[in-house]
Amino acid sequence: MAKDRLRELFADWEAVIGLEIHTELTACATKMFCGCPVEFAGEPNTRVCPVCLGMPGALPTPNARAIEMTVLAGLSVSCEIARESRFHRKQYFYPDMPSNYQISQYDQPFCGLGFIDIQIDGPEAKQRIDRDTAANVSPIDGDGAAYSARIGITRIHLEEDTGKMVHVGGAEGRLQGATRSLIDFNRAGTPLIELVTEPDIRTPEEARRFAQQMRLTWLALGISDCNMEEGSMRVDANVSVRRRGEKGFGTKAEIKNLNSFKSLHDGVAYEIVRQIETLEAGGSVIQETRHWDASAKRTSALRSKEQAHDYRYFPDPDIVPFVLSDEWIEGLRATLPELPAARRQRYRTEFGLSAYDAGALVSDADLATLFEETLGLTGAAKAKAVANVVLNDVAAFLNAEGVALAQSRLTPGGIAELVELVSDGVISSKQAKEVFAEMAASGQMPAEIADTRGMRQVSDHSAIEEVVDRVLAANASQVESFRSGKTGLLGFFVGQVIKEMGGQANPKVVSEILGRKLGSGG
Amino acid sequence: MSTEWLVNARAAEVRMRFVTGDVSAREIAESSLARIEATDEGIGAFNQVTAELALASADRIDETRTAAVREGLDPAQALPPLAGVPVALKDNMNLIGTRTTCSSRILADYESVHDSTAARRLLDAGGILMGKCNMDEFAFGSSTENSAFRPTCNPWDLERVPGGSSGGSAACVSAGQVVVSLGSDTGGSVRQPGALTGTVAVKPTYGRVSRYGVVAFGSSLDQVGMFGRSVEDTALTLQAIAGHDPADATSVDLPVGDYVAAARCGAEQGIAGLRVGLVTDLLEAEGAAPEVISAVRAAADVFAKLGAEVGEVELPSTAHGLSAYYIIGPAEASSNLARFDGIRYGHRAAGAADVLELYTRSRSEGFGSEVIRRIMLGTYALSAGYYDAYYGKAQRARTLIKQDFAAAFERFDIILTPTSPTVAFRIGERIEDLMAMYLTDIYTIPVNLAGLPAMSVPAGLCPSSGMPIGVQLIASHFAEEQMFRAAAAYETAIGFDTSPPTR
Repeated sequence: MAKDRLRELFADWEAVIGLEIHTELTACATKMFCGCPVEFAGEPNTRVCPVCLGMPGALPTPNARAIEMTVLAGLSVSCEIARESRFHRKQYFYPDMPSNYQISQYDQPFCGLGFIDIQIDGPEAKQRIDRDTAANVSPIDGDGAAYSARIGITRIHLEEDTGKMVHVGGAEGRLQGATRSLIDFNRAGTPLIELVTEPDIRTPEEARRFAQQMRLTWLALGISDCNMEEGSMRVDANVSVRRRGEKGFGTKAEIKNLNSFKSLHDGVAYEIVRQIETLEAGGSVIQETRHWDASAKRTSALRSKEQAHDYRYFPDPDIVPFVLSDEWIEGLRATLPELPAARRQRYRTEFGLSAYDAGALVSDADLATLFEETLGLTGAAKAKAVANVVLNDVAAFLNAEGVALAQSRLTPGGIAELVELVSDGVISSKQAKEVFAEMAASGQMPAEIADTRGMRQVSDHSAIEEVVDRVLAANASQVESFRSGKTGLLGFFVGQVIKEMGGQANPKVVSEILGRKLGSGG
Repeated sequence: MSTEWLVNARAAEVRMRFVTGDVSAREIAESSLARIEATDEGIGAFNQVTAELALASADRIDETRTAAVREGLDPAQALPPLAGVPVALKDNMNLIGTRTTCSSRILADYESVHDSTAARRLLDAGGILMGKCNMDEFAFGSSTENSAFRPTCNPWDLERVPGGSSGGSAACVSAGQVVVSLGSDTGGSVRQPGALTGTVAVKPTYGRVSRYGVVAFGSSLDQVGMFGRSVEDTALTLQAIAGHDPADATSVDLPVGDYVAAARCGAEQGIAGLRVGLVTDLLEAEGAAPEVISAVRAAADVFAKLGAEVGEVELPSTAHGLSAYYIIGPAEASSNLARFDGIRYGHRAAGAADVLELYTRSRSEGFGSEVIRRIMLGTYALSAGYYDAYYGKAQRARTLIKQDFAAAFERFDIILTPTSPTVAFRIGERIEDLMAMYLTDIYTIPVNLAGLPAMSVPAGLCPSSGMPIGVQLIASHFAEEQMFRAAAAYETAIGFDTSPPTR
């Protein structure tokens, strides 16, 4: 198993990982350089025009909204925003690219150096064996269970997406063995941002967390639907390994076809092990592009026909350079929403959540919203209890049913009422599970469910005292034993009282009264 | 009726005869078609004569006039500025309903799927489109001999070239087949054929006319230009097509001047006080004919007699113009022409085994040798390791040339040069001598590199050959009004007859 193997290998070896994340700006109404709509799928070649088909004489006109979104993306990850920026042509022949050049950015991208802080928690935190010493890493909560790592961002640039090819007659739609190829240009010209990280990532889990956090960030900005299955967010990983202590970089391989976070994690983990084993066996790593096969769980070299391309970049003369003013940039900055790292921090300091809980909530925008809306009803003092219900009951239910929160009957009001019933001692936490299940199934409110099911706990002291007295009288010998030191019998008495009361006595109140009566020697 | 009047007519005259009801648009279109029919076998100005389109649009224009009269409107006021005027387009300008071939095998059957903004505006101004004009393939050339279809002949002497690359657009105006036409000018492709055919030929400021829909050659150099048999006709044409176009990000959002008024002002009131600088260093360029040099000096004297303050000016950096141009132009062209790959449209080689073979064979079969040469030059200049030495250096030269002009325009309003170093040469004479062919554009190229407006105005006939000579008037950015004023004053002063003797 790759995970255990990795832990072993990481004793002597270190992985160096950089990511390239392409994200389509699906929130743009129109394509990057023409007025065609941006949508997914649909009849082939129905969202095309002379510009995005590269017809003779067509000219590109840049989409201002896409540029705004790109700068917003840059601001959200603390990038330096270029005051002067421009588009270049990246030239190579491929049938899915109508002009045989891609309008992209080269040495003057909109966004330069930036960074984000990611959080690694749970068992995967142990993958990083130098987490106490590495310069870009700091512990969270001080218990070593979670750490934060600062990942540098090299740049974010804006470009146009290509069309899509379907190869017919071969296996699985791949080129190998195909008899003909079909091209759909609906996607051609869709605004696409490419984020490139510094080689700051050291473990497969960091790679996954980074990509997840970028997804959350783009979602929070509302610039893309970040759907990895549909390809609106695509991650490539550059992986190399070196012996611990070495400063230089090893030869890297680029991993493609990582179309889920699990693929990203597993593909990178596989590749690290493969490279280390290759080197330990006396072999060498070849600089190449490798394809992750999620079902075979391995990477394999793509036909290495792909020699170093000379893209012959040059400034696109059809598009005048951009000069961005400080006022314009600051105006955009003012619209930034709260971002994942800041939100995690707030959940820990303001609500006292653990790093793990804070991370888990922030990683799911729906759950985080439910959490915050519920807190609005219960007050922040009950944050931990609300977080527990949201992260355990709600998450498990949604996961089991395979539905989104919006499609479920769960509401902040319902969750708040449930938490309050427990904290007021009206129902036990065990009963709360049952109430939750019923609420999730029927949409009924918790108090109503507790009533109909006769669950309300008796917290009435006099009623309980009456039963306590009866139980103590009926078990005189046990009372004797308790008083002579067998204090473990307290549970027995509590159980008897609750049983007498048909299970509806509040255990806390029962123990309290029992303790008083037994201790008083009465 | 006789078609003779149309052969020498100016646009304003054609329009006036039409709006007053003296002649119908249909009659005008038929006259133009008859003239083309009678002369174009010898000249070869047209790749496609759009007779049906022409007659249909003539009928529409006639109906518009009839409707205006019926509503009691004055047709002279109600009808657009080029109403009823026969026009032609270079065959790299898209217009739905026509083929746009760029005189290339690769686009020989290509039907336009969109309109070029300039063509659309010309027709919206009432022009009747007679056809699409021959050119050097993809505008690479200075003689129209690089057409994949046939060379165009100079109406002044059918043995000679009309210049290029907009040779067909120049020849059809010179031969009286149409009244005005559009071309494109990347390094002189409008002005040089203008000079060689005795027509007035204008390249506006880069950004003045939309490039949308014009098949690109060198995107940072290309500009739509126009031919006419008078300065006023070219002013009228520019007026009709100039102005910002949201579809061309490099078109400029500045108000369009009153070019016709400027031309009339120059013709009627002269140019007293205008500062005209005669270029001295560039004047005696390699291969410049003595007749051409003396014609330009004579033009300077004419300007002086008209009351202009004539001085001398040097533009030392323009010596590097040709070299810079033959890096930047091909570099951009190599990229712009990448889209002709046989995948979506145009010529596709039969029986290719894979996509690489499809590309290489479609392009090798579809492109002529000059196109292939320029693509190779440009590809090389942009290659890793050569970019700085070629493209980067050419851009630095371009900056120096711009600075030279900027300094010159602090002292002068108009800079005067020859348009072409020689008169029209014989067909075949330079086809093997590329340097001689490239040197043809030595005076015009620096203007494109600097993005300035310039025009060629006939300056008389060469005493030895009897062929027309043109002088080039260069103005500062967006100073087209100044340029038309000077050109019209000069035109009036010398009274050149634009009719070729062979008619």
